[in-house]
Amino acid sequence: MMQAEITPAAVALVGLLTALFLHDFVTLQRNRRLLLVQLVVFAGGAWLIVYPEVARRLAHFVGIGRGVDFVLYPLVIWLVRESLLSRRRRHEEQERVTELVRALAASGAHELASPRGPDHSIERASPHSATSAASCTE
Amino acid sequence: MPAFNEEERLARTLCELASAIPASDQVCVFLVDDGSAPAIDENAVRAAILEDRLEDRLEGRAGNDRSPRARRMRIVVARHAVNLGQGAALETARRLALDPRWQPSGGPFEAFVTMDSDGQHRGSDVLALAAAIAAGADVALGDRFAGGSEVPTSRRALLALARAFERATTGLRLSDVHNGLRAFGPRAIAGMRIRQNRMAHATEISQSISRASAERAEDDQLSVVEVPVSVRYSDASLAKGQRASGAVSIVVDLFHGFLFSDGSRDGSHPRGPR
Repeated sequence: MMQAEITPAAVALVGLLTALFLHDFVTLQRNRRLLLVQLVVFAGGAWLIVYPEVARRLAHFVGIGRGVDFVLYPLVIWLVRESLLSRRRRHEEQERVTELVRALAASGAHELASPRGPDHSIERASPHSATSAASCTE
Repeated sequence: MPAFNEEERLARTLCELASAIPASDQVCVFLVDDGSAPAIDENAVRAAILEDRLEDRLEGRAGNDRSPRARRMRIVVARHAVNLGQGAALETARRLALDPRWQPSGGPFEAFVTMDSDGQHRGSDVLALAAAIAAGADVALGDRFAGGSEVPTSRRALLALARAFERATTGLRLSDVHNGLRAFGPRAIAGMRIRQNRMAHATEISQSISRASAERAEDDQLSVVEVPVSVRYSDASLAKGQRASGAVSIVVDLFHGFLFSDGSRDGSHPRGPR
């Protein structure tokens, strides 16, 4: 039946997956659910690496030449979409931050000073004082 | 007036502007500190203005204690908590200028002028633009090529490229698209919402102008004039200004804006507070 194909590439890739998972296991300890999902996805990936015949047969069944392509094609489509979505999210986040910063700026806006009138009034005028604003709006 | 990490040149710009304004005019400067680090020291700016006035008096230019110049210049300061970009700062200033809180006593503002804070624009040119608006134009754009500025060759090449791009994308035939010295009348300012936070706002403004014209009836078009202005280039302002590599990020920003905006770019369907 299906045979494990332990090539140097398979060893390296599974080793990388294991190392990544161990790293995340140590650093993401508080996020147990994410770790579990990651474990399942990584295990599935490792299975496909060690038993390439699985992907190969599925690929032949649906009419794709190589087993690798069976995995790669959907992955590329998903990644492109993900990249576009994340760009849009970043754009929207940026618009929100902009509005937030702007609202803060508007609420903190104040008159610098009143450069009219005698000079000493400039020294006294506080940027927040109501009088300096009032003297300018008359 | 957007300002980022300017203080000395900002103070000088404000002083020059103040001295250019005739006593009969009422002017309010909306100064937006775009997250400068450290924050623009208002006391230092105030002190510089004060000193400038004292010097004037010592030299006998003003003649008396109450110098008539700059009597009508108010300065409203707002600060972005983080740096957002020149486009964002201009939009903040635009909102402030339309905010009832800062309206002048004698009715709404008659002209809205944008200028840089690093001293490259002249106070007299600001008045020239405002005068063009007062004469009936809806949009007056500074044209540094007609104004006899000494534009460095590298700048000329870059700006020529920008001009070609602008003509292709907006259909407007403007000679100096990336000049920060612009003026808008009350009819035009409402539609000039800027959503490009960084340097792509110049293109966005041109697009807004051309769209505003396209949406209006034949006999109700926005009138756009170009006014010769002179731009002073200094090493510091050149170093801070746009580079050729910036053109790429402008195109990317424009593309993102095109992709992700919801079609309300003209500002007639605002999503946030205006």
